Amino acid sequence: MKKLIEVRNLNIAYGSAAGWTNVVQGVSFEIARGEAFGLVGESGCGKSTVAYRLLGYGTINSLVQTGEVIFDGIDLLKLDATALTRLRGSRIALVPQNPTTSLSPGMRVGTQIREMIATHRALPPGMAMETRIVELFALVGLPDVGHRYPHELSGGQQQRVTIAMAVACNPDLLVLDEPTTGLDVTTQRQIIQLLADLRARIGMAMLYVTHDLALLAQIADRVGVMYAGQLVEVAPCETLLAAPAHPYSRGLIASIPTMDGAAQPGQGLRGVLRRDQMSTGCKFEPRCDFAAAACRTTPQALEPVTGARTVACMRWREAVAPHVPVLVKREDKKTAEVPKRVLSVADLALSYTRPSLFDRLLGRSSPAVVRDIDLDLRAGEVVALVGESGSGKSTIARAISGRLPPRAGIISLDGAALAPALKDRSVEELRQIQYIFQNPDASLNPRRRIRAILARPVDHFGIEVDDKALETVLDNVGLHAGYLDRFPEQLSGGERQRIAIARALLVNPKLLICDEILSALDVSVQARIVELLRSLKEKHAVAMLFISHDLAVVQEFADRVAVLYRGELMQLADTATLLSEPLHPYTEMLLEAAPSLRKDHYVSRPPAVPNSKAAQGVGCPLAGRCPRQIGSLCAETRPPLQTTGNGFVRCHLGVEALPVHSTPTDARDPSVQKVSSQRSL
Amino acid sequence: MSIFRLLASRILFSALTLLLVSILIFLILEALPGDVATRILGREATAKALEVLRSQLHLDQPALVRYFQWLGDFLRGDLGTSIATGRPIADVLGPRIVNTLLLSLFAFALYIVLALVPAIIQAVNRGKTIDNVISVITLLLLSLPDFLLATMLLFLFAVAVPILPALATISENSTWQEMLRAMVLPAVTLAIMMAVYAIRVLRDSLIEVLRSDYVRLAELKGLRPRAVLFRHALPNAIVPALNVTALNLGFLIGGVVIVERVFSYPGFGTLLIDALQLRDIPLIKATVMISAAVYVAANLVADVLAVLLQPRLRTSR
Amino acid sequence: MTSVTSTPSRRFNAARWRATPGPFKVGAIILAAHALFAIVGAVWTPYGYAEMGAGLPLSGLSWGHPMGLDQIGRDVFSRFMHGAHIVLLLSFAGTILGMVAGTTLGLLSGYVGGWFDAVTQRVVEAMISIPFLALALVMIIAAGPALAGAPVLIVFVVGLVYAPRITRIARAAAMEIATREYVAVAELRGEGTWSIVFREILPNAANVLLVEFSLRLSYAPILIGALGFLGFGIRPPTPEWGLMISENRNLLIASPVTVFGPGLGLASLVIGFNLFTDGLSRMLGQRPVAGA
Repeated sequence: MKKLIEVRNLNIAYGSAAGWTNVVQGVSFEIARGEAFGLVGESGCGKSTVAYRLLGYGTINSLVQTGEVIFDGIDLLKLDATALTRLRGSRIALVPQNPTTSLSPGMRVGTQIREMIATHRALPPGMAMETRIVELFALVGLPDVGHRYPHELSGGQQQRVTIAMAVACNPDLLVLDEPTTGLDVTTQRQIIQLLADLRARIGMAMLYVTHDLALLAQIADRVGVMYAGQLVEVAPCETLLAAPAHPYSRGLIASIPTMDGAAQPGQGLRGVLRRDQMSTGCKFEPRCDFAAAACRTTPQALEPVTGARTVACMRWREAVAPHVPVLVKREDKKTAEVPKRVLSVADLALSYTRPSLFDRLLGRSSPAVVRDIDLDLRAGEVVALVGESGSGKSTIARAISGRLPPRAGIISLDGAALAPALKDRSVEELRQIQYIFQNPDASLNPRRRIRAILARPVDHFGIEVDDKALETVLDNVGLHAGYLDRFPEQLSGGERQRIAIARALLVNPKLLICDEILSALDVSVQARIVELLRSLKEKHAVAMLFISHDLAVVQEFADRVAVLYRGELMQLADTATLLSEPLHPYTEMLLEAAPSLRKDHYVSRPPAVPNSKAAQGVGCPLAGRCPRQIGSLCAETRPPLQTTGNGFVRCHLGVEALPVHSTPTDARDPSVQKVSSQRSL
Repeated sequence: MSIFRLLASRILFSALTLLLVSILIFLILEALPGDVATRILGREATAKALEVLRSQLHLDQPALVRYFQWLGDFLRGDLGTSIATGRPIADVLGPRIVNTLLLSLFAFALYIVLALVPAIIQAVNRGKTIDNVISVITLLLLSLPDFLLATMLLFLFAVAVPILPALATISENSTWQEMLRAMVLPAVTLAIMMAVYAIRVLRDSLIEVLRSDYVRLAELKGLRPRAVLFRHALPNAIVPALNVTALNLGFLIGGVVIVERVFSYPGFGTLLIDALQLRDIPLIKATVMISAAVYVAANLVADVLAVLLQPRLRTSR
Repeated sequence: MTSVTSTPSRRFNAARWRATPGPFKVGAIILAAHALFAIVGAVWTPYGYAEMGAGLPLSGLSWGHPMGLDQIGRDVFSRFMHGAHIVLLLSFAGTILGMVAGTTLGLLSGYVGGWFDAVTQRVVEAMISIPFLALALVMIIAAGPALAGAPVLIVFVVGLVYAPRITRIARAAAMEIATREYVAVAELRGEGTWSIVFREILPNAANVLLVEFSLRLSYAPILIGALGFLGFGIRPPTPEWGLMISENRNLLIASPVTVFGPGLGLASLVIGFNLFTDGLSRMLGQRPVAGA
């Protein structure tokens, strides 16, 4: 295939008050015309820095030390500003990471696209500007939204607009910088589907930068894995996923929770990337399970190995040796006696704000954002609450914790009803419910040392502890006593989250609410926190309400899963049951959208009756989006609650009618993965 | 929330603020413990003089009654009578307000240029020498008290190099050239004093916007730098500067007091000083109320402009 | 708005001094010089600050009289020197008063919210709506002739003019910090309002408040000077700098140094404060919010 763009020995440094730091070192790769190349790595590995250089762009404080980016025979790094301006947008276009902040807030989206076409004089001959813009909107599956402002569109729609803008001048290369991060799973998949479709139609090449290997599997032809500013492995996507050769790729893939229901044996990544603790040899050496003495001193460069793959590891043969994934089936600990109920939520309804004086005068009430929630948690049980952003999962958690007094319904702890408002609850009740927040950066007071952060709740609740209690609890969450005298900012995100967990455990709660506690962390760190939670669950017999948008993470250790959509519970079931028989159409949609580590040829199913949406509080919230909707019934009548084996489903379709569409089981069969891994060697 | 509802609520709040201002002024000037008349005339005043003043100010009536009387009159457009001159305040104030308005407009026009140009130059060349030089100049000017800057300009352009009049005395029969010449120094002083605040805010907000994702995308769309700056960056960067401009108008009103005094300009500010020196309470109340009203109105305009510049605020989802 | 970031404090040492931003250092040196000058000026001046006939009136600058002599033959430099500690003390006292009142009210108002916040905000809004110089002057008039020109009154007026402005800043900081999850953690623990305001919010608002303090401090000499310049400040013959400039203004043609000497002295103090603020805000990752 013909080379479209080639990166040769790129070295980039970032300047700061402390001096220069190398963020990209010796990166070389090429993308062929029409090829989709993926660049994957954890946050801070330099992947975005490389990607933006493909547009000849760098921040002011970054410096290209050596290297070339050859596009069409020209080195982009040597081009002057005017020539770059001509190239950008017309031949190499960008799809940015965050469409919400990337679209100009004060300009209609149509104008922003028109500006792009006009600047590059890229209007197809004989076509009116308006027609072209509408055509572009249609291309990305949008109606004519040209007159709208960015904030009037949803995140998914905004991303479609940036894509329409990027392809407006028919570029040769599309650089995509984490284009689906921050979007809901189903939206994510639709965007990926759109991109694959556009690629087939327009035939442009792509550089797809992401931290999400599973998504990359759906779209990339070849993948480059980056670690600490270096490419450690470049391989065809399928080969890489089936049999990663570099120990880092291997760890990264093992860290990804998959939907196949198998717990990955302890082969995820250990440690974190510390740029200050880098050896002169292989950058990955401090964290590598295969490291030998020579690795510390010998720098590694990409070497071609079998087939089309290159690896930067002298011990790749050991690393690539086929490992048989040990299928650790979740043991079903069916104890005879049912543990007692810790938390019970009945008929819970919530609305965000108290009606303002103005609204009260007009007799208006603010709409309920959460309705009819019934949920039980037993001691030692983990119940996951899953839903897209805005579905109300955190709102429910807030109500349970007392921060949002419910509009209706009863929350009881150990059989005794809790006061709705926080200030009316007893100190003892406050102690028994502990809350862990999503963002560990914000949940620890940056002005206090870890010792003070941990000691405060102990003092406050007047808990009798021995001198060693803080050390013990740190040890419990895998940290040593040395952390006590540090400030939160001296800790990594994962370590901070461990401190937050330690703080919650220290007061012996009965119920632990984990509100999206993994979503701010890197994949490898996530895997280790999950590991920690699993061990804590066994040790402490605490009930956990685990809130997440990610079914794949949840299935790893939740006993039961509750699926939430627009403030209503759609389904509640045992984890295993839910995964094997989704029953509810929405659960099914979620499961299908969760990418597996191989190309799964996902095609989103169109809604059956797209224009029949239910008014709030009437009918089924999924109406208008549901692929299996039954005419107008769903929009007009509230679906009945149907009991299933170990939970319930809220749907008009009968339980016996539901399991028709269940996905083919072999797609999730781990043996497929194993077979393909052997084939590639 | 529609723009009209927003506007209505802002106007309502502004009115409420002004009502509170009137209460505050009244409380400070007339309801403090102690005898108002003695405070005005001093302890050496004769009993007779005190008696006259008391009846003039209706001090025999309870404070609450006096407040509502005053407020009612004020709202009906009757600003009261000046104690010192015995003339209706409206007649005294009218021409002074016109003079100050002319001066302020002149100063404001200069201010916009003096604020925008350096800020844009700085933001575009951030980190370079020119940015630092302007920063230093701004900081030095920021540190000059307004009365000193005015005096310095006066010394430079009226004493050392006498090209402009030292005293900005204007009257109804001055020609507009005379008026313009008279207003140059006071207007320049006011414009500089306001601009130094705005330059820093505008520079910082422009730099922040230039670092934003949407400006980066605009650059990577291949737009020319000028288009990026004027179509994408500036309209969004100007909003924080608008708030400072509204604050600056409050400053302008205060600054007018000093600047008019230095140049003996017959405006609103000199009138306030005169009223204060003569302890002419009805006149003080009227001038302060009017200056607060101007400030509140300026903030209202800034708020509305901010909403117009940011469609995001216009409709909430 | 400024972002609220924080760095754990470390001890002063040589390496840290070298790493501090230039403006901060220059500002600190200017301020130190002013402080020293003020201390000396409080106990010793070449001539008495109110001593008439120290030399020939209006004789201009000379070695003996670096700032010349005023209309009644007082040595302007001696007056300037004696005035230094007065200006500094008034500025600090007034700013601290405004800071204490504004911070307490602002943090509470921002964190507690509800009707308390609504009422506070309306009053603060009303006070800010009165141009600050007008507010200061009106308060001085209202205090009556007995208090006129007393240092206590000036301190009180500066504090009262500053308090609503500082309240706003403190409130905004508190509102931002109140959304942080560590505040939610404390609330879930059932901590009281005061405990949350002082343990969780105040330490994290410290940077914002410190910069605000420094910023207000740099404007205080100008405000006090303006009051003196207009004849509503410290009672003569106490040599407050603004008052001196106003007194000597009619000597502008005869002996400009009597105006610009004290004037530039005042400006250098404010420059010192401003550089200090600038450097401080850079070190603390804050942006000073301009605007009187």
